[in-house]
Amino acid sequence: MLSEVRFEGVHKIFGAETAVEDLNLTVNAGEFLVLVGPSGCGKTTTLRMLAGLERPSYGRILIGDRLVNNVSPRFRDVAMVFQSYALYPHMNVYDNLAFGMRARGAAGSVVAERVKETADVLGLGHLLKRRPSELSGGQRQRVALGRALIRQPQVFLMDEPLSNLDAGLRVQMRAELSRLHERFRVTTLYVTHDQVEAMTMGDRIAVMNLGRLQQVDAPETLYDNPANIFVAGFIGSPRMNFVPGRLTTTQGKTAIEFLGVKTPISAGSQLTGETTDGEVTVGLRPEDLMWGRVASPDSRLTVSAEVDVVEPMGHEAYVTAVCAGETVTSRFPPRSGVRTRERVELALNPARLHLFDARSGRTILQRPVAGGADVRRTVREARKEEPAEGRSDLQRQTGARGAPSRAEEIS
Amino acid sequence: MSAVSARRLADKELIVVPYRRVSVSALATNVVLILLGCFFLLPLLWMVFASVDANPDWAIKIPTPTLANFADVIGRADALSSFRSSLILAGTTTVLTTLLALLAAYPLSRMHIPFRRSFMLVILFASGLPVSMLVVPVYQMYVYLGWLDSLYTTALFLAASSLPFAIWLMKNFIDAVPLELEHAAAIDGASTFRILRQVVLPLTVPGIAVTAIYTFINAWGAFIIPFVLTYSPENQPGPVEIYNFMGSHGLFKFGDLAVFSLLFSLPVIVLYLFMSRYFSGAFNFGGAVK
Repeated sequence: MLSEVRFEGVHKIFGAETAVEDLNLTVNAGEFLVLVGPSGCGKTTTLRMLAGLERPSYGRILIGDRLVNNVSPRFRDVAMVFQSYALYPHMNVYDNLAFGMRARGAAGSVVAERVKETADVLGLGHLLKRRPSELSGGQRQRVALGRALIRQPQVFLMDEPLSNLDAGLRVQMRAELSRLHERFRVTTLYVTHDQVEAMTMGDRIAVMNLGRLQQVDAPETLYDNPANIFVAGFIGSPRMNFVPGRLTTTQGKTAIEFLGVKTPISAGSQLTGETTDGEVTVGLRPEDLMWGRVASPDSRLTVSAEVDVVEPMGHEAYVTAVCAGETVTSRFPPRSGVRTRERVELALNPARLHLFDARSGRTILQRPVAGGADVRRTVREARKEEPAEGRSDLQRQTGARGAPSRAEEIS
Repeated sequence: MSAVSARRLADKELIVVPYRRVSVSALATNVVLILLGCFFLLPLLWMVFASVDANPDWAIKIPTPTLANFADVIGRADALSSFRSSLILAGTTTVLTTLLALLAAYPLSRMHIPFRRSFMLVILFASGLPVSMLVVPVYQMYVYLGWLDSLYTTALFLAASSLPFAIWLMKNFIDAVPLELEHAAAIDGASTFRILRQVVLPLTVPGIAVTAIYTFINAWGAFIIPFVLTYSPENQPGPVEIYNFMGSHGLFKFGDLAVFSLLFSLPVIVLYLFMSRYFSGAFNFGGAVK
């Protein structure tokens, strides 16, 4: 049985500081949910509250149907991978992996079998006799992961597990984590500040800032329809450009004026109810702001800009240009030959504009969801409906080990 | 740089070997250090020389070699009993202090205790108090309780006086054990007792060893407290015995005194060597975090 996780009106207050404010979030059973945000946004506190290392100040946390506010970490049946890995330095890999099972009173033969299984899955078989200090960063990471996997918990918690790895290894482990999730389908809450990890790994992404949940959605939806300026700026690299604009309505037709050009709101998009004419913030993704010479026919709007900085990335180049007094970043093809101080023509598709309320920062333009998100969604729905065979057996065993009942005794 | 250009550089003697300048301050520092070193080393030298000298006196001189002094001391019952007394005294003190310091240091390191900082400062202050200040009231208390002239009750006071520093020392060692390891173990399903026994304790072993050795060495050399609180000859520990060598035997037996002092300092030297291994990072948390 897969467990969902629910936060209901959860607050966490440290002295005068509110780390998490009114968090309402559901992690669906078997889902890989990424909690992303800048440092200090409350994402790690949220994770630690779910692990039982912090107590919520208000609100309810549920794993499955069980209220766990007052359940100590050892009875929550969650497993956590720490950013620092937190391997036991005085134990070898075998004992590190076996620790959790032994603590739960598993028989020696069962432990040996499962350690072997887990070590094989993670390619740790030849390292079982080594101490953590004799392992490379990537190997330590695997051991930390193995220590969580071996327990077959109801929920996986991961606190920036990849941030101590070098770039190459990080990409490799990212794929491996996704594969492991595909295989075991354990409900996972994954905390990171890296939006690339969030986009590539999450079934859904929850964006947090300043202790508040900003938006929870599938990666593509988040990218195409960010709920506010914060999410729009946080997701996507290079960052979305924000320029001031003006909304005007004449004869029932709404138009937007920015960077010295004016265009009607495109047909597919819809303005939200409370929108009125006046100051707005216009968001432009760098890939939607193209070099005039290579722009697609959809990019009908053109503006003139002076190149400030060219950053070649190999497969493309980021060009920062000044346009009508605003600095914007645009994605250029590689070897475009543009130089600093050169005047270039930038083209953009009016349908790709994002509009935000200048004061509240909330989005005021609902755009049609791009194809990718729909596909992704269907995959996820399908995954939810399919009976989780094999996995469910493991879960039943987990339940049978009696962790929940013991927990009830103590709470 | 290619070999050719390197040789050319050498041919032209462009590599300048700087000569060392001896500054006045460096010279002064070294002279002071050498003088201080002599201050400590000369008595030790006397001890070594006198112990193997057939006719030792208070001066340092080239000895007329003999092992008679050693035979003399080892044959004496009071010398042997003082070793036994010192062992009981220092051993009991060490066990008591280390155990209590561990029990006190863990919560001080890990738990939210009101006024913890002030409490730690009080402990630090207490560890600096001279024990001799308390000797008279403690003596009266021991008389009142009927605890005089017992090695174990004396060890109790020695333990009490060495506890503040031991707690402070131990707390720093426990502070160094990453809290995340305990969290990881708790999430892994371990009980508090199992966490302490299998995670915290093994990682605190160097700290326990250092605290124990430090306490033992101090108790081994303790003079004033056993001098005041014990009086029977068989309960006199080593330092008091050394004092007796000088006082009650009328004529100074320099050779015996030197041999006894030498033998008595051996355990301390051995333990220091042992402790330095722990202090120089024989154990680390490699792989625990990062």
